[in-house]
Amino acid sequence: MIKKVVLLICFVGLVIACSSSDDSNGGGNNDNFDRSGLLTNYADNIIVPAITNFQSKVLALNAARENFLNNTNQTNLDLLSDAWLDAYKAWQFVGMYNIGEAESFTSNLNGFRVYYNVYPVSLSLIQSAAAGASYSLDSDAYYAAQGFPALDFLIHGIADGDSIPIDKFTSNSNSQGFIDYLNAVQTQITTRTQSIVNNWQNNFRDEFVNNTSSSATGSISKIINDYINYYERALRANKIGVPAGNFSAGQTFPDKVEAYYKNDVSRELALLSLEAVQRFFNGQSFNGGTTSGESLASYLDYLDNSDLKNDINAQFNASRQQIQTLNTSFSQQVSNDNTKMTMAYDALQAAVVLLKVDMASVFDIQIDFIDNDGD
Amino acid sequence: MKKFALSLCVIGALTTSCSSDDDNSGGGNDVVAPATYQFERNGMTSVSYSGQTTRILMAEELIDALKDPSFSEMQLDAMFNHQEGDIDFSDASLNASDKSIRSKTAASFDFFTSNTTDANAIKADFESWIAEQVADVYSNWANTATPGNPGQLTENGGSVRYVNAKGLELNQAVNKGLIGALMGDQLMNNYISKDLLAQFEATNDSETLVTDKNYTDMEHDWDEAFGYLYGTDDALAPQLNQDSFLNKYLQRVENDPDFTGIAQDIYNAFKLGRAAIVAKNYDVRNEQAEIIREKISEVIAIRAVYYLQSGKLTLGTDNASAFHDLSEGFGFIYSLQFTRKPNTDEAYFTKAEVDAYIAQLMTGNGFWDVTSTMLDDMSDDIAGRFNFTVEEAAPSN
Repeated sequence: MIKKVVLLICFVGLVIACSSSDDSNGGGNNDNFDRSGLLTNYADNIIVPAITNFQSKVLALNAARENFLNNTNQTNLDLLSDAWLDAYKAWQFVGMYNIGEAESFTSNLNGFRVYYNVYPVSLSLIQSAAAGASYSLDSDAYYAAQGFPALDFLIHGIADGDSIPIDKFTSNSNSQGFIDYLNAVQTQITTRTQSIVNNWQNNFRDEFVNNTSSSATGSISKIINDYINYYERALRANKIGVPAGNFSAGQTFPDKVEAYYKNDVSRELALLSLEAVQRFFNGQSFNGGTTSGESLASYLDYLDNSDLKNDINAQFNASRQQIQTLNTSFSQQVSNDNTKMTMAYDALQAAVVLLKVDMASVFDIQIDFIDNDGD
Repeated sequence: MKKFALSLCVIGALTTSCSSDDDNSGGGNDVVAPATYQFERNGMTSVSYSGQTTRILMAEELIDALKDPSFSEMQLDAMFNHQEGDIDFSDASLNASDKSIRSKTAASFDFFTSNTTDANAIKADFESWIAEQVADVYSNWANTATPGNPGQLTENGGSVRYVNAKGLELNQAVNKGLIGALMGDQLMNNYISKDLLAQFEATNDSETLVTDKNYTDMEHDWDEAFGYLYGTDDALAPQLNQDSFLNKYLQRVENDPDFTGIAQDIYNAFKLGRAAIVAKNYDVRNEQAEIIREKISEVIAIRAVYYLQSGKLTLGTDNASAFHDLSEGFGFIYSLQFTRKPNTDEAYFTKAEVDAYIAQLMTGNGFWDVTSTMLDDMSDDIAGRFNFTVEEAAPSN
């Protein structure tokens, strides 16, 4: 009899204990967290300020290009280079937002980044375009011949047969072709950026903030997928892992770093990208120092996962420290001591598991870009 | 009486209840394993591990070639790091494969995705053993080995062994090293990893099959772990000793009366874990994973101790025989860094500890300088972290 009572209590206990995690109908926490507050903070204090800042840098870049072409000399090329770097830095804070209009650009796994930052850049595509071959920067064949990497080559690289970078626009027999190509690349950047900004300002901001659904099409699930995709592919893999040989059986590629032709800014760009990632995680406003609103971090706190939040921040910090030990030029680092590169990769990778497995599971979010190795 | 019932209740609650919302089927722990590792869907098998069989067969050809001085370093490297379509193997189906040994050496999800720095160093170890085999051993194939000089040594029983300047058979380093770095690591730290498999819970819950396949991602991953042990064996009735790697040494351990039953324990855990995946019961799956980790780790550690002790028996009286045993022991010790302590994220021995053992064995003139005391100390260290004694692991003659 006693045994039966105990068993009954035991059974009731089980039912109570289990009822908290019962939503097995395909995703999404149905908690009472202020999702709307989180999305509002992300839209108004982080994403829109970042993309409008980027837009202003893109317009400044456009002005510097015009100035250079109106008066083609080394001083103005240097000014163009400065404007390029300013815009490239600003880009590090927007590359993760493959949502809204940006998402509609392409179904490529790298999202709208294919129109801004595919590297290594294809010199043969650019030079043959300058020589008169027909091309379309909208076609996927030209992803590797536009955006900041193409500008990097046009501003800092040396074309076949030339002796210095500016020759492309002066003495090169295809100089008019290079000028046209520079204009085309700039137009592509400007046009797409304007359309992203317009989309957020006209209607997407409200759509984003109001879509508080916990389903896979809700804003939270989408932005977290974009965020992890960016961290894993754009930051961890492209900036560090690919040149360090982590995806090529150990063969290293000093020429596959970001901003290869400028060559001394790859570390700076990677650190900014990591800063953008960490500020996003903690919900820190784009303009406002350390002020922050509801975020992935506060959402983890809300769900009693502050340890995970702290682990993620600790891993971001460890990654930053590791990257700071690298040469300002990742090309140099890969050539001189690649072990330090792989150590930076390892630090970044450690956060992938925390984000993609642990955090996604706490939020009950389905990650939409998992590949099994197909053995 | 009441206390006993209550403690049952606690145990029951702990093991059956709600660790995350994993089992939607509402059942408890009533997963039933089939009699054999046979799983079907729509009347066709849902089990597949051809990639593992391929890698085992590639490794077989590599270790054979490491005993044939007609091979060049480039040929051996190409066997280790095969590229699809290259004619590296005698078996055409291996040549056509897009798999390679190297890509899965020290490459598990749990141990190496965030530790590519060590993974690179480990791959480099294998490459350096291959390079040295050609540069030093093949080039001294007919010479008699002496302390500091590579060459051949003949056992009292007549077998000829080819060793480097430190008395180490590099082909054994590769062979036994791969048991940990390839088979063991993939099996224990990759395909049964709960973190790896967590990514596939949603598709397993919904029974979403991999495109053009008859299995879910999670089922397949578990099968791939199975394949690293049974890939050349009969899955329904394992014979053991069907390869030169883990499958062979599971048989050796099973045949030691001190450990009889270990093979069935491992097979049962694989079966029940796979059935648990079909039943979407991830707690039972994880419990089987821990059993598999403990037992496979034991196989590696038992053989490490076995060969250290076996080498000790003939050290000084039949060095060729002793060095052969120690070379196998070297590889099993190297493999210890890929073992997995159950219910932890750690190996039984860290890479640093393993590197220290290796350095100790290779110090000075290597095996020529090894002492019985050193071998006993090392044996004690290894057995001390497991549930077996040096005596149980040692040769029983």
